[in-house]
Amino acid sequence: MNLKATIGMETHVELDTKSKMFCSCEVVETDEPNISVCPTCLGLPGALPVPNKTAIEYIVMLSLGANCNITNEGMFHRKNYFYPDLPKNYQISQFDFPVGVNGFLEIVLDEELHSVEIERVHMEEDTGKSVHIGSGRIDSATSTLLDFNRSGIPLVEVVTKPVISTSKMAVAYIEELRQLVIDLGISKGKLEKGNLRFDANISVANEDSNELGTKVEIKNMNSLKSLEKAIDYEIMRQSKQIEKGESVIQETRHWDENKQVTISMRTKEGSADYRYFSDPDLPNMIIDEEFINNSKKNIQNLPLDKRKTLKESGLSLSDSNYLDKGDKWLYDLYLSTVENTKDSKSTFNFLTGELQGQMRKAEIDELPDWVDSEKISNLINLFETNEVSFTSAKDILAKLLGEDIDPKSYATDNNLIQSSDDEEIKTLVTSVINENQDIVERLEDPEDKLVGFLVGQVMKSSVNKVNPGSVKDILLKELFG
Amino acid sequence: MKPSELFEQVYETASYTESVLHAHLELFYDEGLKLSKESDKRYTKNESLGLLDGIPIAIKDNINIYGYKTTCSSKMLSNYVSPYDATVVTSLKKAGTIFTGKTNLDEFAMGSSTENSAYGPTKNPWNPDFVPGGSSGGSAAVVSAGSAVASLGSDTGGSIRQPASFCGVVGFKPTYGTVSRYGLIAFASSLDQIGPITNTVDDTRIIFNEIQGYDSKDATSITPEYTKLENKKVKVGILKELMQEGVSNESQNEVNKVVNLLKEKGHDVTEISLPLTEMALSVYYLIAPAECSANLSRFDGVRYGIREDASTSYEMMNKTRSVGFGEEVKKRILLGTYALSAGYFDEYYGRALKVRSKIITDFKTAFDKVDFILSPTTPTPAFGFGEKTKNPLEMYLSDLCTIPANLAGLPAISIPTGLSENNLPLSVQIMGKPCSDYSLIDFAESIEEMVEFNFSPNLLKENNES
Ligand SMILES: [Zn+2]
Repeated sequence: MNLKATIGMETHVELDTKSKMFCSCEVVETDEPNISVCPTCLGLPGALPVPNKTAIEYIVMLSLGANCNITNEGMFHRKNYFYPDLPKNYQISQFDFPVGVNGFLEIVLDEELHSVEIERVHMEEDTGKSVHIGSGRIDSATSTLLDFNRSGIPLVEVVTKPVISTSKMAVAYIEELRQLVIDLGISKGKLEKGNLRFDANISVANEDSNELGTKVEIKNMNSLKSLEKAIDYEIMRQSKQIEKGESVIQETRHWDENKQVTISMRTKEGSADYRYFSDPDLPNMIIDEEFINNSKKNIQNLPLDKRKTLKESGLSLSDSNYLDKGDKWLYDLYLSTVENTKDSKSTFNFLTGELQGQMRKAEIDELPDWVDSEKISNLINLFETNEVSFTSAKDILAKLLGEDIDPKSYATDNNLIQSSDDEEIKTLVTSVINENQDIVERLEDPEDKLVGFLVGQVMKSSVNKVNPGSVKDILLKELFG
Repeated sequence: MKPSELFEQVYETASYTESVLHAHLELFYDEGLKLSKESDKRYTKNESLGLLDGIPIAIKDNINIYGYKTTCSSKMLSNYVSPYDATVVTSLKKAGTIFTGKTNLDEFAMGSSTENSAYGPTKNPWNPDFVPGGSSGGSAAVVSAGSAVASLGSDTGGSIRQPASFCGVVGFKPTYGTVSRYGLIAFASSLDQIGPITNTVDDTRIIFNEIQGYDSKDATSITPEYTKLENKKVKVGILKELMQEGVSNESQNEVNKVVNLLKEKGHDVTEISLPLTEMALSVYYLIAPAECSANLSRFDGVRYGIREDASTSYEMMNKTRSVGFGEEVKKRILLGTYALSAGYFDEYYGRALKVRSKIITDFKTAFDKVDFILSPTTPTPAFGFGEKTKNPLEMYLSDLCTIPANLAGLPAISIPTGLSENNLPLSVQIMGKPCSDYSLIDFAESIEEMVEFNFSPNLLKENNES
C-alpha cells in the first residue's frame, strides 16, 4: 500500500506594533509580569476594545504579500472559550470575513518552485501567559501564575490549504513566511521568541484516494527542526496505524521535544463549539481602496522579488533562496560585490562560506563598517585571478574583519602575491624532486596521487606564494617530459 | 442655595427615604460634602464650572467610579472596587457634579423590577408595595424621592424609561453611540446606552449635553450630527402595534390625552403601523442574552470579584459562577449560549439579526413620514412585588414598548403624564430618528408643559406633613 501525507499549516505571527491590538498598552519584552496592562487587556468590567489601525494595516500588508484577495468589509468576531489566561474568556478574532483570502506563497525546494495555497489571513488577539507551578500542564499544576503583558498583542493567523506533502516543504513554507513578515517589516520574525508559532494538521491516506485521511493536529513545535521531526514522526505513526489496519483518531497531539514523539492531548469531543459571533463592541473594518493603496506603499522587495534579482545575477534557485532568507546586509553585499566580480557562484560561496563562517567564529553579528563591497570584491578577484592563494585570501579576510586594510596592498606588503615566474618555480620544483627521490621513483603516471603530494611540497617550500596550477604543470613537465 | 446646602438637603432626604426604598447601595457622604464645599468656593469666586457644578447626581451601580465599588447588584462583584472612571463619570466630574452614591439595579441590569438585585429590591416611592421598575430602579427611585437631583441609568431594553415611568420622572435613552459606553459594565453591547433620569426635561437636556459626544475609548461611539426641526408644527406618528391588546387602557389613555393636546396645538398626528414591532420582544430576547453570554464570561473568579475554592482552575471558575450569579442572570446566559450554539445559530441568533435589521429599515421608512413616534412607555403602571417573578414572560412584556428603540438605536424619552387608578404614575414615550436627540428633548419639553404633571410621591408628602 502506498500512502501519502497531506499537511496544512496554521501559523500565528506576532506583529511588531508599538501598542497592543485593542488598547494603548505598550508591547513589552520583559520577564517582569503584568507591567503593561490596563482595564481593556485585563478584561475589567466595563472596559472596551478599540482597534489598532497600524495592526490592521500590517494584516493587510501580509495579506497582500501572500497574494490574497482583501475583504473590503472585515468583521471582528468573538471566539468563546474559558481559559484562565484569556481575560474576557473570549478572544477577539475573525471568522466569516477574514482580512485576506485565497492567496499563495511561492516556495523553493532544492531547485524547484512550489506554490503553497493560503486559505486565509486573519487577525487575532494574543492571550496572557500561564505559568503552571508544579507541572507544565494546567491539569496537574499545584498553582498557576498569570502574566497579562502578552494579553492583547496583535497576532495574524495564516492558514494554508492542505497542500503540503512533506516535512521539508513545511519547513520551506515557514521559512518563506518568516522572511515575508520580516521583509514587510511587520514582525521581528524570531522563532525562538515565539514571534512565529505554528501548528500542523497532518493526515495520511492511500495514494490513490481522492479523500484526505483523518486529520491530526500537532502543537508545541518551537523550532523548524522540531517541526520537521514532528511531521516526520507523525506521518510514520499514522502510516503504521493504517498499515496495521487500525484507524487514526482525530485529535490534537503535542510534540514532546525530549522524547521526540507526539503525545495525545486528551481528545476533544468532536470539535469545540466556539460560538463565534460578530463582536458588538467593534464596528466592521472598512478596508477600502485608499487603505489598501496606502498599505501597498510600504511593501517592497519581498523574498520573491529578491529571489528574482538574485537569479538574474546568475545564481541557482536554491542559492537565491538561501540568500533571500538571510540577513539584509548579506543580500545587499552580495549584489554590490557581484557587480565587480566575474563569478556569481564563487562570490556566493565566498560570502556565505568564508565570510559568514569567519564572522560566526569571531562572534561578529554585523560587518565592520570599513568592510565594503569594493574591498570584498577586490579580495575575491585576488584569488580568482590566482594572485593570491585561497588560503591567503582567507587570511586576508580574517585580517580585514579585525582592522581596516586594503586587501591588495596587504597581500603585497606581506608577500602573499603568488609567483607565476616559471624560473622561480622551476628552481623550487628541482629541489623538491631532489629531496624526494624515493617518491619520484615510485611514480607511475601523471595521474598518480603522489603528484599531489609533490605539488604540496613545492607550495610549502614557497610558503604558498606560488600558483599551484603552474607548479603542477612544471612538475609534470620535469617528471614526464 | 449653596451646593453644600443642597447636598445636605439631598442627603437628609436620603437618610429617611433610604430606609424604606433601598435605592442607593452606597452613599458617598464624606466625599460628597467635601466636593460640594469646593463647589461653594467656586460659586463665591464666580468660577462655577457650569450648570452642573455642585449638583448631586446618583450613579447606577453598573457604571464605574474610580475608587468605589461597582457591584452591578451581583454577589459576583460584591468586593470589586473599580480602578478607573467611566467616560460619563469623567465628564460629570469635570462639570463639577457631586455623586450622591451608587444606585440599586437588577443584577447586571437584567430585569424590569429591581427584584433581581442580590442586595434586595428597591421600593417605589409612590407606594412601597410596588416595584420601581428596572433595571435602573434605584436611579429612578432616588430622583423621584429627592435623594438625588438627577441620576444616570443604563437602558438596554427600556431600563431607563420603564423605571422612570414607574416612578413618575423623566427618563431618556439617547441615540446609540452618542454617549460613551466606556466604563459601563456591558449587558448587551449593541443595545446598551447610558442616559439621564431627571425631574424635568430641561434637567435631562443639561445632563445629556454634558455626557454626549465622541469618545475614542468606545469604538461604537459616533461624532453625532444632531438634526434640527424645520417646523414648529411637527408630524407625530402613533404606533398602532403599541395601542392594542397587551397594552392597558390606562396606558393607552395617556397617549390619547397627549394626542388631543398636540392636535389642539396644531400638530399633525397620524396612526402608523410597523408590524415587526410585534417581533421586537422575541428578537430582543435572542440578541440580548447572546451578547450577555459572552459579556459576562469575564466574571470567572480569576482576576477580581469573588472566588470559590476548588481543586482545579476550571472547577473554581464553575463554582464561582454558580455561586456568584443569580437565577435571572444564569437563565439569560444559558439562553444566549444556546442561541449561539452550532446548529442553532442560524435558526435563532442569525434570524434575530435579520429581523433586527428589517426593524431598523422599517423605522427609517416611518421617519420619512413623521418626525416623532408616540406610544405608552409601559403597558401598565408599576406592578406589585412578586407579581411577575413567577412568570418571566409577563415580566419581559413590561418592556414591550421600550425595546424597539434599543433594537433600532433610536433616541427615546419617557415623560410622566398622569396617574393611574391606584395613584401610580403613567407616562408616554416619544421616539425620534437617530441623532434627533436635542429636537426630541425640545418636543418632549413642549409636551411636558402641555400636560402639567404636578404630582409627587406619597412618601415625600407624608414626610413633609409630619
Ligand atoms: Zn492594555
